[in-house]
Amino acid sequence: MYFIRKMRSQFNSWALLSVIFSTLILLPALLIMVQLFAESNENWEHIKEFMLKNYIVNSVTLVGFTGLFTVLIGVSAAWLVSAYKVPMHRFFKWGLILPLAIPPYIGAYTYHGILNYTGVIQTSLRNQFGIKVDQKFFDIMNIPGAVFIFTMFLYPYVYIITKSFLENQSSSLIENARLLGKGSFMTFIQVVLPVSRAAIVGGVSLVILEVFNDYGVVKYFGIQTFSTAIFQAWFGMGDIYSAIKLAGTLMFIVVLILILEKVIRGRKQYSYSTSKVRPLQPKELKGWKKFAVLSFFISLFALAFGIPFIQLIHWVYMTYDVILNTAFVDLIWNSVFVASIGSVLIIIVALIIANFSRLSKGWMGKLFSKITVLGYSIPGAVIAIGVLTLFLSLDEKVFTLYEWLGLEPTLVLSLSISMLIFAYVVRFLAVGFNSIESGFDKVGTVFTEASRTLGMSVTKTFFKVDIKMIKGAIAGGFILVFVDILKELPLTLILQPFNFYTLATKTFQYASDERIHEASVSSMVIICISALSIFFLHRVLEKEPK
Amino acid sequence: MFVQIKDLAFHYKNSRNPLFENLSLNFNQGEVSVILGESGSGKSTLLRLIAGLEVPSRGSILIDQAVMNDTFRFVQPEKRGVGLVFQDYALFPHMTVEKNIKFGLTKMNRKQKQARMEELLAIVGMEDYASRYPYELSGGQQQRVALARAMAPNPSLIMFDEPFSNLDSKLQLQIRDELQEILKRTGITSIFVTHDEEDARAIGDRIILMNNGKIQDEGRPEMVLKRNKEQLSLAYV
Repeated sequence: MYFIRKMRSQFNSWALLSVIFSTLILLPALLIMVQLFAESNENWEHIKEFMLKNYIVNSVTLVGFTGLFTVLIGVSAAWLVSAYKVPMHRFFKWGLILPLAIPPYIGAYTYHGILNYTGVIQTSLRNQFGIKVDQKFFDIMNIPGAVFIFTMFLYPYVYIITKSFLENQSSSLIENARLLGKGSFMTFIQVVLPVSRAAIVGGVSLVILEVFNDYGVVKYFGIQTFSTAIFQAWFGMGDIYSAIKLAGTLMFIVVLILILEKVIRGRKQYSYSTSKVRPLQPKELKGWKKFAVLSFFISLFALAFGIPFIQLIHWVYMTYDVILNTAFVDLIWNSVFVASIGSVLIIIVALIIANFSRLSKGWMGKLFSKITVLGYSIPGAVIAIGVLTLFLSLDEKVFTLYEWLGLEPTLVLSLSISMLIFAYVVRFLAVGFNSIESGFDKVGTVFTEASRTLGMSVTKTFFKVDIKMIKGAIAGGFILVFVDILKELPLTLILQPFNFYTLATKTFQYASDERIHEASVSSMVIICISALSIFFLHRVLEKEPK
Repeated sequence: MFVQIKDLAFHYKNSRNPLFENLSLNFNQGEVSVILGESGSGKSTLLRLIAGLEVPSRGSILIDQAVMNDTFRFVQPEKRGVGLVFQDYALFPHMTVEKNIKFGLTKMNRKQKQARMEELLAIVGMEDYASRYPYELSGGQQQRVALARAMAPNPSLIMFDEPFSNLDSKLQLQIRDELQEILKRTGITSIFVTHDEEDARAIGDRIILMNNGKIQDEGRPEMVLKRNKEQLSLAYV
């Protein structure tokens, strides 16, 4: 009886829409899971026997070393920025986040362009100084090179989360350690590292997911990993079956890692409860220490942003008159078009599910919010294969329908842009959802309740009250999703309709054709839009108290 | 009897022990009832159950002879015609005082809305503040606007959840007197929730003393406070 009454009090169009959307989001992953246990074919047997081990070893090596180095760099940068004051402190505080604006695949080809035989370093050495160098010292197209690229452009994930934890949560602990006579280094080792464990694990797991997701860097560097294998199975052999098996295996590994993350993080969340949040006061540094910290910041910023950025500007200057034409306008239009539609859809779906889940307070709401976050953990190539399978099977149905109606049968759905946009929604829903959910968390439910007791239904309340109170979170979520779609590579490469390119896929195509100078203009557009959004989110949404 | 609660049971999701078991209670028409109790005694939850913001696991609630919920029925909060003044007022920060008060007036035309809004602002003595935003008001002024907003749709019952707890003590007395005056003048049935004995004595026609989800005593203020003097003084030492 209680159940019926509870259902009655909560079952409405919000619940229904949440059920529908969550099912749609879950479907591609489920399809892959099911197919993973289907019978194997010859291709798959071959892959399993001769190549799978190599994929696993390479992927795990990349993930392991990148994880290690991003923690080392990200955590020490976060600690130094939060605890000490050096010249240009405010600039470095957010400047060290900027490398996130450069997608690793753009970083990869830019660094290759700087370091190769015709690059700026070697030509300068040859022409100005007459020095010829051994190529092996300048070759980064290998696993250590890929680890360098990933580390440089992904460490900000660890940096951001650890920094905000240290700044907001740990001041009393750190000040106590200082008062108890611990030096800076011992404070760092004995207090900072252990208390920020949860934050560090949170950051590094984002890095790991990004490395698994990557296709651009490893493909360009010629390293065999799961992503490249999925591409080869689908595009090289036309074998969706093996692609699914590979995708399923990769998904399995990712799930293992997520479980591991939960275990390591334990019951600790990113924050622990102290009612008073007092920001950590940075200490002024003097003498050689100041010099050392400053040089660390400068070199990190230069390597991860400054140098590749300046190189790209130079290439843009060399090629803009050839590149900037109507085709380029089309390219920008395509990118903005898919990113806008994708972001709007994601925000709508996220609003519906988040609103239902916060008002229902029950297990169903929790389940839905878990499902929406799922997509972000699954590498783009895997989602692409799942979505492809879904749309191909839908098309078969439509195909029969067309035949039956006596129309010209075509592959309607799987060649359309709707497939690509659907995949974006699955992949990036979590980004929009998290932003909106935290907006709702901040506001609480009291305004909603006030509105209900004043005679407004859930839906009317949503439009008149709820949505207006989380405007900032909606804008923030939209920007984050928009930029993520704009940069997205692997999923777009697999699902883009024939002759349809985005800025990201065109950049990658140029780079793959060894036309790295031509790739610079579209790269620059991506980087500038990403950097602007980072600046906006950092300065506007997390406005520092002066 | 205006509000009838019968055999009500309720438990919070994350708690094993039920907060209410077989709670039965009535409120009379036109009366100011005060539910007095320590924090955690369940008094605010009872208001939320009457308002329809929580779902009981058993029992029934009737308001003015109409079933709000029983075994099969559950009337949504917006259909109950009950006003609730929240502890922290919950004025919509993106709306002016005027918009806040007009918010619940859905069935009126523009002119009627304006008239009703002005009428209520006059009742709470805030005529000059219609175009202000909530953050431009003091605590006491926000409190008055919250009262005006809850009364605007002409609810058959109005409830107050710790309405004075965010005010300083001098203001508390003043607002309490004003409120009592307004309630008497409008003759609206009202339920107060408070932990403050003095508030209960000053404002209530009747006190319901609540302890651990159970009704320990009820009756006229002096009687209830006298009978439970010892326990009340212990609780607030």
